[in-house]
Amino acid sequence: MKRVVQVLLLAAVAGLAFWLWTVFFPSPEKAIRSRLNALAKAVSFDAHGGLISQALNAESVGEFFTVDVDVEVTVPGFEGLSMHGRDEVQQAAMGARHRLTALKVEFVDMNVKLDPDGQGAKVNLTGNAKVPGEKEASAQEFNFILKKVDGKWLISRVETVKTLSFRSADFSLVADES
Amino acid sequence: MEPAATVARFPGWLRVVQIIVIGRNPKRTLIRAAVLGTVCFVFFKFFFFEHIVRQVRVEGNSMFPTYHDGTRNFVNKLAYRHSDPKRGDVVAIRMAGEHEMLLKRIVGLPGETVAFANGRLLINGEEIEEPYLKHHSPAPDMKPVTLKPREYYVIGDNRMMSEQGRIDRDRIVGRIIL
Repeated sequence: MKRVVQVLLLAAVAGLAFWLWTVFFPSPEKAIRSRLNALAKAVSFDAHGGLISQALNAESVGEFFTVDVDVEVTVPGFEGLSMHGRDEVQQAAMGARHRLTALKVEFVDMNVKLDPDGQGAKVNLTGNAKVPGEKEASAQEFNFILKKVDGKWLISRVETVKTLSFRSADFSLVADES
Repeated sequence: MEPAATVARFPGWLRVVQIIVIGRNPKRTLIRAAVLGTVCFVFFKFFFFEHIVRQVRVEGNSMFPTYHDGTRNFVNKLAYRHSDPKRGDVVAIRMAGEHEMLLKRIVGLPGETVAFANGRLLINGEEIEEPYLKHHSPAPDMKPVTLKPREYYVIGDNRMMSEQGRIDRDRIVGRIIL
């Protein structure tokens, strides 16, 4: 019985040590996931935030991107959005705070694929944006390209993935002649 | 002897009910129930609702009036294990993963040429009846699209509002149950 308790205690200590190791030295995949979750949090804002805190919050969004980031986003029902550079991303984040009262962004199903050299990664994920008060949330699939710069994972490209290979050129709305 | 004493406290038919409900040995029954409950929880949570049936909540109106916003449903993930998806099937389509999925109806099968003219579905140039539509919502006109060997054409039943397009077979998670 004493031996069993010793073995159980040893297993518990080993488990705790492993957990602490993963907390203090996360794998690149885990570091990227938590970085993107932090981005989703930074992009989100609520109606109660003051102007200064919202401006600071919008500025912090830029910290997640490389200086020369490319963003090419097309969401069904909205105009395509194309941005180049960290400043434009920050301005867009600030603009969103002016246009909307609140926004909640969430990233789910993050599939991280590391480059062989470990200095870059491609993440395929689903982004979910919800404007409080509006019933429907908007979900869209994205690809994020990240680079490791000075030990930090920064986003160098964002593009939408067309889950349904919808091609606008295939469509033509016909006017009702009746 | 203790359990028997417990049972003896209830005379007559109550004792029979007690034996049926909690057994002759309540302590042992409690352990059995706890073990059974844990096994059931683990089975349903980590196996049944992950690999066999997935519970989903419909969001949005692209499948209206067949499926209403906010209703709950289930996806049979084994539906296409031994057979191919058929025209008229309502399927769940994964985005980056299975947390957010699209709910659409299959209208075009691999190798077929799909088009919409005057709100009607054309397959290989011939108009197809769609008995599964509860009320006819005309789709925007679309030039013919020929599907590749593993491609399906999907659209929502609320055709003026729904996204549509080609999807690869690998994206189909399963068929909706109810």
